[in-house]
Formats: sequence, C-alpha cells, structure tokens
Amino acid sequence: MTAENVLRALDAVSAGRAEDAVLSVRDLSVRFRLRGGRTVEAVSDADFDLGAGECLALVGESGCGKSVLASALLGLLPGNAETSGTALLADPDGAAQTDLIAADEKTLARTVRGRRVGLVPQSPAAHLTPVRTVRSQLEETVRALTGTSRRARRKAAEDAAERAAFPAGHLDRYPHELSGGLAQRAATALALIGDARLLLADEPTTGLDRDLVDRTVDELRRHADDGRALLLITHDLAAAARIADRVAVMYAGRIVEIAPAHRFFGPAGPRHPYARGLLDALPDRAFTPIPGMPPELSALPEGCAFAPRCPLATELCSNRPEFTANLACHHPEHPRA
Amino acid sequence: MLELDTVTAGYDRRAPVFRGASLTVAPGESVGLLGPSGCGKSTLARVAALLHRPDAGRFVLDGTEVTAWRHRAPRELRTAVGVVFQQPRTAADPRLTLADLLVEPLRATGRRAEAAARLAELAPAVGLTPDLLGRRAHEVSDGQLQRACLGRALALRPRWLICDEMTAMLDASTTAALVAAVETYREETGAGLLAVGHDRVLLRRWCDRTVEWKDCLPAEEGP
Amino acid sequence: MADPRTHRLRLWSSALVVGVVLLAVLVVPPLVQLDEQAVDLSRKLLPPSWEHPFGTDDLGRDLLLRCVYGLRISLLVGLVAALVATVVGTAVGAAAGALGGWTDRTLMRLVDTFSSVPHLLLGIFVVALFRPGVWPVIASVAVTHWLSTARIVRSEVLSLRTRPFVEAAISGGATRWRVAVRHLLPAVLPQAGLAAVLMVPHAMWHESALSFLGLGLPSHQASLGNLVQNARSSLLAGYGWPTLFPGLLLIVPTLALAGLAGVWRDRLNPRRRSELML
Repeated sequence: MTAENVLRALDAVSAGRAEDAVLSVRDLSVRFRLRGGRTVEAVSDADFDLGAGECLALVGESGCGKSVLASALLGLLPGNAETSGTALLADPDGAAQTDLIAADEKTLARTVRGRRVGLVPQSPAAHLTPVRTVRSQLEETVRALTGTSRRARRKAAEDAAERAAFPAGHLDRYPHELSGGLAQRAATALALIGDARLLLADEPTTGLDRDLVDRTVDELRRHADDGRALLLITHDLAAAARIADRVAVMYAGRIVEIAPAHRFFGPAGPRHPYARGLLDALPDRAFTPIPGMPPELSALPEGCAFAPRCPLATELCSNRPEFTANLACHHPEHPRA
Repeated sequence: MLELDTVTAGYDRRAPVFRGASLTVAPGESVGLLGPSGCGKSTLARVAALLHRPDAGRFVLDGTEVTAWRHRAPRELRTAVGVVFQQPRTAADPRLTLADLLVEPLRATGRRAEAAARLAELAPAVGLTPDLLGRRAHEVSDGQLQRACLGRALALRPRWLICDEMTAMLDASTTAALVAAVETYREETGAGLLAVGHDRVLLRRWCDRTVEWKDCLPAEEGP
Repeated sequence: MADPRTHRLRLWSSALVVGVVLLAVLVVPPLVQLDEQAVDLSRKLLPPSWEHPFGTDDLGRDLLLRCVYGLRISLLVGLVAALVATVVGTAVGAAAGALGGWTDRTLMRLVDTFSSVPHLLLGIFVVALFRPGVWPVIASVAVTHWLSTARIVRSEVLSLRTRPFVEAAISGGATRWRVAVRHLLPAVLPQAGLAAVLMVPHAMWHESALSFLGLGLPSHQASLGNLVQNARSSLLAGYGWPTLFPGLLLIVPTLALAGLAGVWRDRLNPRRRSELML
C-alpha cells in the first residue's frame, strides 16, 4: 500500500458518516446578478456532508464565499441571489429530509431557523438588542419557538444560558454591560434555545483575543460533543485546528479540499497547494504569504482559480479540476514524509 | 526615540483607561504590545500616534515633548508617525478610490506634485494591482482595503509606524503579506514599529521584543 | 427597503408628477403668452369646462392659468427658500459639529432659541418687517427652516468625527479645514440634499399659509396660497372649484417631491453589502 492509498483510506474513514449525515450538501451554487449584467459566482458546486457530533471547519480568505454558503443554508440570501443544488437537512426522527435550498420562506421560518439550524453570529454585540436584557431576549426566543407558558419559558431560557455556559447571575444585564466573551455566550445561548441539531458558526471569533477565541471554540466543540453537527466558518486556522474534525478549504467560491483535521494540521499536511500556502503563511510556520491575491468572484478564470498564484501550475491547470476524492487539483502535493 | 513616560490617558478624567504607563521604542526597533481586548492598548496606540492627548505623564517623540496640545498635535510630528487601524472598513473614507486613499496624506500636506510618483511606489509595495486602484472601499475585500490603509500610513515615509490590531480581521496569507510589506519598508527606511495586538504567536514572530500588558500597564517581557 | 415593484411604482409616479409640474411651470407661461390677470366679469365663476378646464374665479380669470402661475411662484419660493435654508443649516451644523467646544455650544443654543418660537409666528414676524413681496417670504421660510438641517448635519458630523478614517486623515497631516471639506462635508451632503428636497413641500406650505393669512405675496399675485385665500368667499357662496384646484396643486406635487426624496433616501442607505457582493 502506498502512502497515498493509506491517506485515502484514512480520509474515507473520517468521511464515512454520509449515511447518518445531519446535513448533506450537493452541488450547491450561489450566484448574484448585479446591475450591468455582471454575475458573481459566490459559491460553486459545494459538496460535503456533516454528521452528528462532528465539527467541519470551512476555512478560506475573506471574500471567498464562505459566509454566502452559511446564508444560503439559512435561506437568508438577498433577492438577487440564484441558487442551485441541494442541502438536505435530516429531520429529527430521521425519516424525511428537508432541502434547505428548495424550502420556502414559511417552512424555513417556522420549522428550520432556530429550531433545527442554530446560528452563532459573527459579532454578538450587533446580534443582541441593545435595549433589552439577555433574559428577555432569551425568553422572547423561547416564546417564538415554542409558545410555552411563562414559567416554562423562564426555565427554558435559564437552561439555554446554562448550556452556553452563560452565568445565571448576568441574565438580567444589558448587552453593553457584558464582556466580549459573555456577549458571545449570550448569542450562543440564543442559538441553542431551539435545541437545533445543526449549528452554524459564522466567524464566531473575529476580533476576539486568543484566550477568548480558545474558550469560545472550546464551548462550540462541547456542543458538537453533545451530538450536534457544527459547521465552523472561519479564517482563523488556529481556531479550526483546535476543534475541527475535518477541514474544508474554500477558494474563490469552490471547496478545493476536504481533509481530516489531524492530517491537515499534522505533519502530512493538506494536499492542495492553496491549503499548503495558507498554512505556510501562519506566524508559527514559514510566515510567508501566498503571492498575489484571490481572483474576483465576478471574473473567475476558466480553469483552476488558484493557478495564477500556484507554484505548481502547468498547462493542465487551464482546465478546471474536478472535485473528486475530496480534492480539486491537477497537481496535488504528495503527503510530506 | 518614541517614549511614553508614566502616561495616563482616557476619555474621562476621573476614570482614565490606564495610569502611569511607560513604554519606549528605539529607532529601527519593533515592539509588540500584547494584551486582551478592552485593556486600553488601543488608547495607548492612539496616544503614540498623536491622536489622543494624554492627561498626565510625558510623551516624547524624537526628543520633542508633545504632551500638551489643544486641537491637534503639531503637523510635522503627526506626520512622522503612520498609523494603521484594525477595521479597514471604518478607517477608509468610502468616497475615495484606493488611489486617492493612498496619496491623500500627500495632498493634505501640499505635496500634490509627488503624488503620482509615490503612488507608483506604494501600490506595488503593499501588493495592490493597478485595476484595484480605481475602485472604492465597498468594491474591494477587507484584505485589499487594509493593504491600501497600510499604503496610506506609509505615504509620507513616517519614521514611526503604529499598527493597532492591523491583521485581526484578516486571513493568514494576507496577514503574512502585510507584515512582509511593513518589514520591507522598515528595512528601507529604518523606521521604528509599535505593533499592538492580542496574537502572541504573531507578535513574537514579527517584533524584536514584546511587551505584555498586565493590569492595565505594559510590563516588559523578553523577546 | 420596500419590495422592488412598489419601489419602482413610487419612483415613476413621483417622477411623472414632478415632470409634468416642471413642464407646466417652465414651458406654459412663456409659450401661451396669456395674461393670467385678465379680468372678464361676464365669465365669472364658470364651472370647469373645455374652455376653462379649472373653471374661472369671481373676477372671471382663468383658474388653470392662474394655478400654473401660482404653482410657479410657490415652487420658486419653495426651492429658493429650501436652498437658502439648507446652505445656512449645513454651514452652521458642520461648523458646530466639526469645531466643537464653545462654537458648538453657541451655535446650538442659537438653534434652540429659534426653535423655541413657533414657526409660523417667527415667519409672520419676519414678513411683517418688510413690504409684501417674494424676498421677505423667502427669508421668512428660510429663517424658520434651517434649524432642522443644522441639527441633522451636526449630529452626522459628530458621528463621523470619531471614525477612524477621520483620525487617519489627521494622522496623515490634514488640517481641520481639510478634514471638514474633504472628508466630513462630502459625507453629509447627501443627507443635507435629502433634507433640502423634503423641505421644499414644507416651504411651499409655509408660503401658502403666509399668503392665506394675507401676509405673504401681494394678493393680486397668483400664488397657491393667494388663490385659496381669494377663493374663500366663493367657497362660502357654494363654488368649490376655485379652492379645490389650488388645494390639489398644493398637495399632489409636494407628495411627489416627498416620494422622490424617499427613493433618494433608500439609495443612501442601501442594504449592507455582504462579503459576496464584492
């Protein structure tokens, strides 16, 4: 068995949860039509599964389309977006599935958002209503989701706060009276109220300092360990390294590699040159940037979008590489020895 | 020499953000100031960039004490310090193109004639391609905009550079590229650097020495 | 933002009304060369007909013609007054916001003082100082209307003043004047322009109110306010159209202007561009 085959086998084990996937995304594309006939291809042919208890980190530079992917899963895209493909969300009883892309706004609002998909937002300070206490916001969400009695609401709000490790003593505070970390937990508590099996965390650590990043992602990891599926969207590779089971690398709207985290961050490393470049840019590694800048999503090259910046590019790269075996590259790096 | 000597500063005299902070940066030296968010290190950066007047203590820049000023610190001292902020979106005037943004300091100081030549040097130095220069802030990504903000800070060839969480919003590759651009500039000009941030790994790798902000005061620490 | 179709409907209907009004007041008077003051007592108080689409008034003057002339003078007063008020308000607001300190305190106390007097009373006081005419009315409207613009511009400038992009400009050697002219003023001009457009209807109403009270334009001059005022006696005698048409002309074009201003406001606050819209 060659090293490559071993890797394939290992990857297959990590990805072998497709049948019990909470979320199953197939050929998901999102396009925006702009004035003047320009088209922005924000997400192209995204393809991945996410199982219960698993954390998939979606990493990439800002503007690569990762947040669009999250918005698409929540049905929160602006009106000029065109979507195709499917994103099947398993029902709690496991029998049927809901296609998040095809579902209408009513279904999404009444049965999906908050109930089956929770969103941990990018900036909790902006996510919380500044003029109301954390408790009243939690209770309002409980009422909107379940419509239970006042007492049950209070209990549910406190339970959600506890699950998010938000101290009960701070429930009656206003968002501006909270530290960044507590505000983040309050926002997480909101996301957890509906006991959603799928959590989407969209850049939950931007602008936080390292200790707080570690604490925040550790808490998110705990929710995955409780059996939830966690999609962590981030540009912070250290955060991804800390908690992810698998890493999906996005470049110019396409997922170019999905790899188990231990291999991705371990000595073997990723196989796509872009992913290797990203890791090499880390200050505790080579600290060398990838030359050039990512292409415009409105003017993507014909072939591989990374080719203009890629040290390994050849003529072959003027054809777009297919995403097969969790990789889209004509010249994948062989695992490092 | 950039010297803060027992400086107290804040937005309310009765409750300053920090008291008695001291910090020095030698010419050509790079110092990283580490600390958790909300500890006042950004206020210190603003004091060092002559944008905020300290309430007490001494701030000495290249031998000139600039502790007392009314509306603005003297222009020749202000322009000796370049500053880059955390959030490029709010740090860039949305009505200017990136090209205008880069050379705005030259125009503001009556050196309009040099603008075109300086732009031709600055844009490649911070990795901006000509097609980006004609765009406005909302038409480029955070990383591209931050490159322009760095270029603007370097436009007047400052002797000092203050980077307040310059890369906190950016991905690894853009971070490395911006740090490389700063270091190239410092090698050419011998400028001193105060990099404020929370990323220990980054600042230790980037700077000659790091200072840890403890209990609202910077305490010296090894390299 | 409203859904795109109602949005478009609002834009086009408003634009259509404003276009027709502008065409009427700009093109009709020089083209038709008729005397809107021509009195013909044999044809007084005729109901609307083909010959006189808006009917005639109690002196037999053609009301359509008088309405066009009235609208023209009212619109002119409204526009000029709004322009003056906006320039004054923007200057005062920008100075107060950008300079701060005692300048700010003095100017804003001045604004408060002016605001504390009821607008119409202040307006009447101003026109009473002069002989009736167009300029006193414009002055009266301007004096009472620059206050809100000054407040809007000041608060806008204050919120901009602490933005990092202003600090970056200061760090880049910009003087206070340059910061104000290059960075602050361009940022508030769209808001000030919007305030100006929204002010035109107010100014027109103010003029009409003054004229209705007999304090505005000379009463023989056809302005919307004077037309309504002159038609009052006819209304009591049971003739509705002499008040109806000027009244409608006071309402419809001002609504259309407000509609256009609304579209402009939506343009100013577009949906926040997300990451992918780049």
